[in-house]
Amino acid sequence: MTRQTTALLSGLALAGAISSGAANAAAGDSDAQRAERWGEIKQQIFPGQTIQPGGTAVKIEAPKRAEDASLVPITLTMPDKDKIAELSLIIDDNPTPYAAHFVFGPAADPGELKLRVRVNNYTDVHAVAKMKDGSFVESTEYVKASGGCSAPMGMSDEEAMQGMGDMRVKFGETQPGKPVPATLMIRHPNFSGMQMNQVSRDYTPARYIQKITVSYGDKSVFTMDGDISISSNPVINFAYLPEGSGPMKVTASDNQGGHWENSFPVRAASN
Amino acid sequence: MYRLPLAAAAAVFLIAAAPADSPVGVQEPDGYWQGALHGYTPPTLKGATVVDAATLAKLVAERKPVLLDVSDLDRKPAGLPPGGLWFPVHRNIPGSTWLPGSGDGDLDASAQATLKARVAELTSGDLDRPVVTYCHPDCWGSWNLGKRLVGLGYRQVHWFPQGIDGWQEGHDTTGSRPDKQWAARPSATAGQ
Repeated sequence: MTRQTTALLSGLALAGAISSGAANAAAGDSDAQRAERWGEIKQQIFPGQTIQPGGTAVKIEAPKRAEDASLVPITLTMPDKDKIAELSLIIDDNPTPYAAHFVFGPAADPGELKLRVRVNNYTDVHAVAKMKDGSFVESTEYVKASGGCSAPMGMSDEEAMQGMGDMRVKFGETQPGKPVPATLMIRHPNFSGMQMNQVSRDYTPARYIQKITVSYGDKSVFTMDGDISISSNPVINFAYLPEGSGPMKVTASDNQGGHWENSFPVRAASN
Repeated sequence: MYRLPLAAAAAVFLIAAAPADSPVGVQEPDGYWQGALHGYTPPTLKGATVVDAATLAKLVAERKPVLLDVSDLDRKPAGLPPGGLWFPVHRNIPGSTWLPGSGDGDLDASAQATLKARVAELTSGDLDRPVVTYCHPDCWGSWNLGKRLVGLGYRQVHWFPQGIDGWQEGHDTTGSRPDKQWAARPSATAGQ
């Protein structure tokens, strides 16, 4: 079939859709729709801000095709880490697109962040960095995964909530004067409110971590505002600057009044 | 006031229609599937043709079928922070008519009447016009709607069990809103 014929046919299909009253949104190519949606989301989250294409300032790594849509690993890399103040992760086609917002503190090394998210549908994922000079930059990546927000956990709600609020921090290698990688793990189902119990056909109410704070000694490493797009049993990889002796303190609170705190001693740097 | 008897009826149906625990050898129920709509489905639908994405793409290009999307609406969870961004989007096969809830096994009389009239309109009353029902993988909703259309006399019903997920592997999707006429159907208890 020639290109002209294809164009003609899709034109006819479009005309047919309109005349038959099919209630599709403005027809157009998929990319244009995605760009338009991102424009609307940006307006909501960053009203009045101009966001520049990020170039290399923020890089998103995500599997092109996720094996488990409720557990999609995202790596955010910021080579100009000294200039980064805040970082937002937006999953455009999730019903609540604003997945996470990080504010970095003086003890942060915001060169790399990893977290695991739910992805509802094939979607653009955006990272927006707020630089210390107040400007914003963005980057994007397309992720193929679907059904992550409503995927049941494969266990009862009671089982999923066992040990809720338990935390662990795994510390990477400590070298004097070097940032230390760390992994924070929090046991929490982070129920999205869109997961249906297949037996009772009831929806498990949304119960998710709204805020995490991590500090080292008396300095903040980061605070994170979270949402139902964060996977159950959140795992966050980050790095911090080991000035002083710690300890590392973590607090987490959820939308139903749950609040947990823990303190982790830090091994001294070996000389 | 009608909720309790309905819930009781649903409970009976649930016991009667336990979900299959394996995707292999799922049998077609005699009537509509009344259990949870998410679950393993049979490989067949009597009176209809089961199509995969490649066959559907060919059908769309050559015969302009009526495409009926049975997917559920995204349900807004309680407990989201006030002022937070709730901004659901639904993408489906371009040109589709989205009829959320039309795959229920126990559609009331009003919904059945609206559905019948709407599909007649979309097919221009042509029972030989190809019609395709779909939602997502492991979704009985599109199976039920396909069966209902066969029952209404449509002779070229196609069921596309891979649904939106199967389609978007190789084809564009487009943002969609629920069909207005279907959404405006009178509720079952109106006027009673």
